[in-house]
Amino acid sequence: MDTVFGISYDGGGACICGLPVVVLATDQVNARSILMYQQNLDKIAQLSSHSAMGVSGPNCDLVNFSEYISKNLKLYELSNDGRKLSTHAQANFCRGELAKALRKGPFQVNVILGGYDDMNPRGGSLYVMDYLGSCTKAKYGAQGYASNFCLSIMDRDWGEGMDEDMAVKLVEKCIRELEMRFLINQKNFIIKVIDKGGMRTLKFGADPADN
Amino acid sequence: MFGPTLVIGNDILDIGTSKFDNERDQRAIGGGAMIPRFAFGEPGQFDVPNVADPAHFCRNNFASACGNSDANQTVKFAKGTTTLAFKFDGGIIVSVDSRSTMGAYIASGTVKKVIEINPFLLGTMAGGAADCSFWERNLGMQCRLYELRNKKRITVAAASRLLANTMSSYRGYGLSMGTMITGWDETGPQLYYVDDDGTRLHGRYFSVGSGSTYAYGVLDTYYRKDLTVDEAIDLGKRAIYHACHRDAMSGSINNLYHVTKDGWVKIHAIDVNDMHYEYLEDKKNAMASS
Amino acid sequence: MARRYDSSTTTFSPEGRLHQVEYAIEAINNAGTSVGILAKNGVVMASEKKITSGLLAQARTSEKTYKLCAHATCSVAGLTADANILIDQARLRAARYYYQYQEPIPIENLVEHVCNYKQAYTQYGGLRPFGVAFLFAGYDEAHGFQLYQSDPSGNYSGWKATVIGANNQAGKSLLKTEYGVSRREEGGGDGDEMKTDDDDDADPSDAIEMPDVAEACRLAVKVLNKTMDGAAASAEKLELFTMTLDENGKCVHKILSREEAKAVIAEVDAETASAGDT
Repeated sequence: MDTVFGISYDGGGACICGLPVVVLATDQVNARSILMYQQNLDKIAQLSSHSAMGVSGPNCDLVNFSEYISKNLKLYELSNDGRKLSTHAQANFCRGELAKALRKGPFQVNVILGGYDDMNPRGGSLYVMDYLGSCTKAKYGAQGYASNFCLSIMDRDWGEGMDEDMAVKLVEKCIRELEMRFLINQKNFIIKVIDKGGMRTLKFGADPADN
Repeated sequence: MFGPTLVIGNDILDIGTSKFDNERDQRAIGGGAMIPRFAFGEPGQFDVPNVADPAHFCRNNFASACGNSDANQTVKFAKGTTTLAFKFDGGIIVSVDSRSTMGAYIASGTVKKVIEINPFLLGTMAGGAADCSFWERNLGMQCRLYELRNKKRITVAAASRLLANTMSSYRGYGLSMGTMITGWDETGPQLYYVDDDGTRLHGRYFSVGSGSTYAYGVLDTYYRKDLTVDEAIDLGKRAIYHACHRDAMSGSINNLYHVTKDGWVKIHAIDVNDMHYEYLEDKKNAMASS
Repeated sequence: MARRYDSSTTTFSPEGRLHQVEYAIEAINNAGTSVGILAKNGVVMASEKKITSGLLAQARTSEKTYKLCAHATCSVAGLTADANILIDQARLRAARYYYQYQEPIPIENLVEHVCNYKQAYTQYGGLRPFGVAFLFAGYDEAHGFQLYQSDPSGNYSGWKATVIGANNQAGKSLLKTEYGVSRREEGGGDGDEMKTDDDDDADPSDAIEMPDVAEACRLAVKVLNKTMDGAAASAEKLELFTMTLDENGKCVHKILSREEAKAVIAEVDAETASAGDT
């Protein structure tokens, strides 16, 4: 039911020396059976200062999984003298935990994890994971029913040298297609960027803090 | 590996991934160094059915509260409900019906569906009556222990999280519970929705139960943040009335609570049947005067 | 009555000491010496092999130096049997870390893990501390080449150059005077011209310019010459290990062959001979 997008771009002013930066976007709906509970949910969980993941799945798993991962990464930082894991390592840790949970009441979550590293390799990267524990590095990706509509748009429009404006426009193109063709009404979306400065919220349909 | 190496290797030093997995084995072996955790609401602390696969047994014999899936089961849950709660400028209103049904049979018309956890915390009850009252009583105990340990009242956020953790640890075991935890804490009026699959939501207003869709209809249409206390009480009362009118599994008495910074107060307990004639009369008069 | 506290590792003596742990540390001070030296392009470790009998078959693999993972190696002083257990733990830890994060383990994390394991044996009942001290040489992305030492109590510390085992005090004092000295004497160090007066106030250790791997090898042999009382170091009696990076940034672990070790020893001999002349 949920929609998660991730796009990396490497053009424009925000990208120092052509290093990629990542955008994450999710819908803000929380629904169960025939009821819609909320339209202002934030499904992009911040993992560390320079990484976050868009999560789709039942609210319980979504909250428990993203909290479990983010607190474990925090624990790593505390017990390793402030050293942060690279995005690659964070993604593999996530993947491992999904795979471990698979045989004992899985976390039913599909994830797009994005982060920005200062070291080796520098720049942003994006990892697409499913609840079964598969994990691939990608330039862009989509999770949920939305992938049926939007991956083709991304394949068509994504290109090297896109800037932030173009990346966000691409996300918005995908959202418009969902409005047009997707049965489920996803009114609000939240869009976040992770770059050298950390994570920032670009825009949202409804304020997640408003309740 | 043998002897002490094994104990030490698994006990405190295995900081790697298998630490958590080994913890339970350690407890079984009886490694003297382990201090048993005081953890209510965790699997193992509460007896599950004495059958080979308790989760499977629960699923087959106790269908969840959603839908009519227990129609051909011999053991039926007492259920069928409309409950609602909303925050507004004057505090929080909690309004519920009092009917309990087992299939087509009305098991009771005088169920207290608002559970008074403590003078500042209320829980509502929808879904399995036994599950709700048991786990909310358990929550009440955990909240009291928190108070004794920390010398301050628990926040609504924390209390609801305790319940949500309990629910997610028993996920798939067939518990049936949809509840709203409300109260006034150091951060002001708070309202959380918690259900049996571990969902926990923070929001302005919620409605839970078979009649919730009807209650949502009235609530979505007439809810405002700046309602006066009287208007809010009337909204809570009417939303329950309309739900009871349309939902066969809801009815009997409307119990309504108002939560302020000084704690909760019970406002009224009115038979929805009486409400029906009162509102009918109102409508007639309004038509006549226009 | 002090003996009362000798037998139990987990009981403090009235003076607040753990005798068994101190004895274990003392045992290391009689073990074969190991020297570790951090170079600017690598790490060098040299160990003394104690030849107990001419009848003993020569070990095919190294006796003192053990690879832990692609980017870390340790050198042992003390009971080899005890060391094997800890080396297993270290290898397991490094592999598990890689399995979990698909990324090499930071060196300090690995060292800390082994030391936590050692520490537990000084606190739990009925156990004997490990009679082993280690030198850890490693490389990671965050901190480059690193050198650590650890003792039976579970303490560890990072060094530019250090010695464990027999006569380590003598070795350390030699290192103190010689580490970085050749550069300073030459006066041709690149950094020297840039220096301002302010630098004089700085920590003296900052002024030390690191040797390269070849220099570090020679220094390590010099130290062993001093610590191996009487006999001069010979290629049969020492094990020289170097860790460097190849052109792809991968770690290269190398134990010098007998011929290579001989060459280093010859260089050192020549150097000391000429120094003696002047």
